[in-house]
Amino acid sequence: MTAFLALVAKELRALFVSPIAYAVIAVFLVLNGYGFAVTLFATKQATLVNVFFQAAVQLVLFVPLVTMRQFAEERRGGTLELLLTAPVREGDIVLAKFAASMGMLLAMVALTLVYAGILARFSTPDWGPIYSGYLGLALLAGALVSIGLAVSALTANQIVAAVVSLGVFGMLWAIDAWAAMLPSPIDDWVLGLSLLARFQPFAVGAMYASDFGFFLAVTLLGLFFAVRGLARR
Amino acid sequence: MTGSTPTLDLHLTDRPRRASAGFGVAPAEGSRHGVAVASVEGLGKCYGRRQAVDGVSFEVNEREVVGLLGPNGSGKTTILRVLTGYLRPSKGTVRIDGFDVVRDGHQARARVGYVPENAPLYGHMRVDEFLHFMGRLRGLRGPALRRGVESARARLALDPVGDAVIGRLSRGYRQRVSIAQAVLHEPKLLVLDEPTNGLDPRQVIELRGLLRTLAHDSAVLVTSHILAEMERVADRVAILLDGRLLTVHPLAGPGRGASLRVRARADRADEVAAALSGLPGIDGVTREEPGGTLASWRVEVAEAGAAPHVAAALCLAGIASVETVEAAPDLEELFLRLTASRALQ
Repeated sequence: MTAFLALVAKELRALFVSPIAYAVIAVFLVLNGYGFAVTLFATKQATLVNVFFQAAVQLVLFVPLVTMRQFAEERRGGTLELLLTAPVREGDIVLAKFAASMGMLLAMVALTLVYAGILARFSTPDWGPIYSGYLGLALLAGALVSIGLAVSALTANQIVAAVVSLGVFGMLWAIDAWAAMLPSPIDDWVLGLSLLARFQPFAVGAMYASDFGFFLAVTLLGLFFAVRGLARR
Repeated sequence: MTGSTPTLDLHLTDRPRRASAGFGVAPAEGSRHGVAVASVEGLGKCYGRRQAVDGVSFEVNEREVVGLLGPNGSGKTTILRVLTGYLRPSKGTVRIDGFDVVRDGHQARARVGYVPENAPLYGHMRVDEFLHFMGRLRGLRGPALRRGVESARARLALDPVGDAVIGRLSRGYRQRVSIAQAVLHEPKLLVLDEPTNGLDPRQVIELRGLLRTLAHDSAVLVTSHILAEMERVADRVAILLDGRLLTVHPLAGPGRGASLRVRARADRADEVAAALSGLPGIDGVTREEPGGTLASWRVEVAEAGAAPHVAAALCLAGIASVETVEAAPDLEELFLRLTASRALQ
């Protein structure tokens, strides 16, 4: 446990030493703040649905920037050798990076709770969709981070890690458009892989066990491949 | 932090003579003295179709410095990476203090301190922060962690830079930090990959003394492609070429052996050869190229310091040798001879 906590602390510090974390958080908040204000003034509705969809798209774009360096930089700089020759399991190293990345992303998303506070101050919003929306963002972030870590564990080049992660995320995000062109029942199977289709119910206040299970399964699969990627040496 | 470097309070002279532990090419020839800390048997490692290491067997015993010597690409780093658990062997077994690096990897890694080539470190961390982090990774906590860090800092003369950011340290200090993280948990086996790379001559001398000091507590396995470095620091060297172990050569202690050069009158060559062959402790006699009225023999003896005994024995046999001297140890000659013969094959 000592080793795991030391790894998490080191990863968190590494994230916030780099300017990437600050840039991602700043841009995320500016874009979401702008979207929230415009939507609020235009629709006069006390809802965060639009913010959740914007935030989900931004997670797809920004998560690769957070995960690309996780293993790729350690591999390139040789410090991965220090970690892997210490008496810690590969799983602990992966989980520590996952926990630190999630910590940073959840803190970033949590800052948008200000919008919910504004709605509560001037109106009486329906809290159900707000809770489910944040839960959906957390589940989506978990799935994206785990895939990003798996990709990063396979390369020593950060740019390659970012581009490949972005490609995978984009494909999983837009796969519902391809599903429409496929015959039944393949279209349903393919649609089931769509991050957008899985996230949409959370954003509007509907939670299904299947969507919950999907994000959890993708997260576990991503972490598994990240561990396998590290063990492949 | 690129200023002047304080001097380590260490032995700056060449390796002290002391009893050397055994080091066998084959496991059966294993340790003649001491306890084997690292045991490598039939190690093979493939990268795809390329065989990087093939059938390497050796042991490293406690309180011993063993050098892995070989040209670039000969498999030195691969062997170290298998020993430290970074790479998995394709075949063979590697044990650290009795723990298999594959089956009991966690236990084996806990007993190893590793200094990778080029001293990879987290440049954004401060020295103390990094040492505490590495200590926690190795399961140290509380007073044990503090003791380990303080001891490593003191041994490596890192006290002046405890608060310094690693990325701003000089190459010599970075190397020391890298060694400090490897010794703070008092490992059974200390593994260093090309530790003198990039160091200036003074730092190389200091590191040499440091390695000898560290060998008081740990077995040390060090790689280099610099022959002179190995001669000064190692008790034994294992010479590698193309992933194969060519030989193991003792450089210190009773197992080292030595060469003598004996010169005597050429007309009594047969008597001299017969007398030399009959002496105890003689491993081999080779007649060198004849020249003039004197003949010359190279005599391999089991122990260093045998020249007076050989001269006395020849005298008792009625042969007055002109010269009986110990030939200088010549690792370079051995290395060139072995690698050349392998290249011809």
